[in-house]
Amino acid sequence: MGLLDTIRAVLGTNAEADATRDADPEDLFGMSTAYLTMEADLGFESMGRAALCFSGVDSTDFAETVGDVETILRAGEEETGTTFDVREDSHGWEWVVLRDDDPEDLVTSVHFAADEFRERGYGSRLLAAVFGFERADGGDRAYWIYSFRRGAYYPFAPGRDRERNQRLEFKLESVLDGELDVEDDESYWYPMWPDSDGGHPWE
Amino acid sequence: MVLTMFLLFALYLVFVGALWWSNSFVYLPLMGAFVLAQFFFSDRLALYSMGAKKVTEEEYPELHAAVSRLSQQADLPKPAVAVADSRVPNAFAAGRSQKKATVCVTTGLLRTLDRDELEGVLAHELAHVKNRDVMVMTIASFLSTVAFMVVRMGFWFGGGRSRRDGGGGFLVAIAASLVVWIVSFFLIRALSRYREFAADRGGALITGRPSALASALLAIDGRMDNVPKEDLREQSEMNAFFIVPLKSDFIGKLFSTHPSTEKRVERLRELEREMETR
Repeated sequence: MGLLDTIRAVLGTNAEADATRDADPEDLFGMSTAYLTMEADLGFESMGRAALCFSGVDSTDFAETVGDVETILRAGEEETGTTFDVREDSHGWEWVVLRDDDPEDLVTSVHFAADEFRERGYGSRLLAAVFGFERADGGDRAYWIYSFRRGAYYPFAPGRDRERNQRLEFKLESVLDGELDVEDDESYWYPMWPDSDGGHPWE
Repeated sequence: MVLTMFLLFALYLVFVGALWWSNSFVYLPLMGAFVLAQFFFSDRLALYSMGAKKVTEEEYPELHAAVSRLSQQADLPKPAVAVADSRVPNAFAAGRSQKKATVCVTTGLLRTLDRDELEGVLAHELAHVKNRDVMVMTIASFLSTVAFMVVRMGFWFGGGRSRRDGGGGFLVAIAASLVVWIVSFFLIRALSRYREFAADRGGALITGRPSALASALLAIDGRMDNVPKEDLREQSEMNAFFIVPLKSDFIGKLFSTHPSTEKRVERLRELEREMETR
């Protein structure tokens, strides 16, 4: 514990400080080359989908911000052909789901959307960017999740019955570590379970 | 709050001085070991006394998903999740550190609250974990516990011993302990109320919806009035841990570990206005 952390612990403002800390999007772009490694070394192809997860704030200003994000993405849609929709999952968390066959465009669009949230002062509400992969033979599915709170990636491979495919996750970590900034503390590898087997985290 | 902590610290300094002066210092390591053991097993004790069980992702997927994402927002490792079978709607967080934390809810709580309200309560508990409240309160109450034990020992052995060796020193230690215990009792409760406000605020900032926690507190408060009295008495020793303490008619504000629900709701409304007009 550093000095600042100790003072915060004494004052009881740790939760407040960390809940309102700005996002750290620095290492998000690592994904644009990781797509190539995923395919070349592991046989994982892009699902053609990525998503940005954020938790809303009860205010008019935040609702307007979401509207502005949509405007920006709509402009991008004409340029790159990246389609999107904004949805709420059954737990009440909100998502921007993006579709594009070109992974590079997915990363750029996620970045644009995240940037707008940050500029409007809502960087702290960004939770994660999720990039989907699947094996060509229709087998395993895996996701790389970028945590905006930690500024690092971690793998998530959902198996059946809410069991994580840990072998696959560690394989992904060992192959991509270095190319991506991978979260080294596994207690921060939060699962993002889809509602049903075979679904996606954003559904 | 800083004043409360300062007063507590000053009081403890005097207490240690009195113990030193009266040569009763020898008891301190022994009691320290006892309190330390309490600190390390507090989570298991709390869960056990509530009859709570840790639950898996498969058993309570919704609850786990909510805890997982709220921890993500709070930048906490995901804590273990436990459920206690009780009609009293309540929740608490236990565990000595952020990595060993457990968040527990009762089945009554799951039935009483809607999704947003439940998230509000869970976020409040995660804020306690984040603020290291178990550790802070254990440290703050350490010497108070020691004082309490000295007083109790005085009642047991005090009389006989002082006749044998004319131990005036021991009597001083008991008297000092009694004073320290009474005064620190109120200071610690003031500190606890402050930490509750801090956890309300932290929790509301985690969910982004102060109103959800406010309506949860009101719903729990209202539901409490309808729960059979025996159920409430069973669990009253757990009060300091709960999101809303069980009601008691005669205990005054000074004795309470939590601020009143009205005051907490009022503060949450202020926070809501703050967020709307920022």
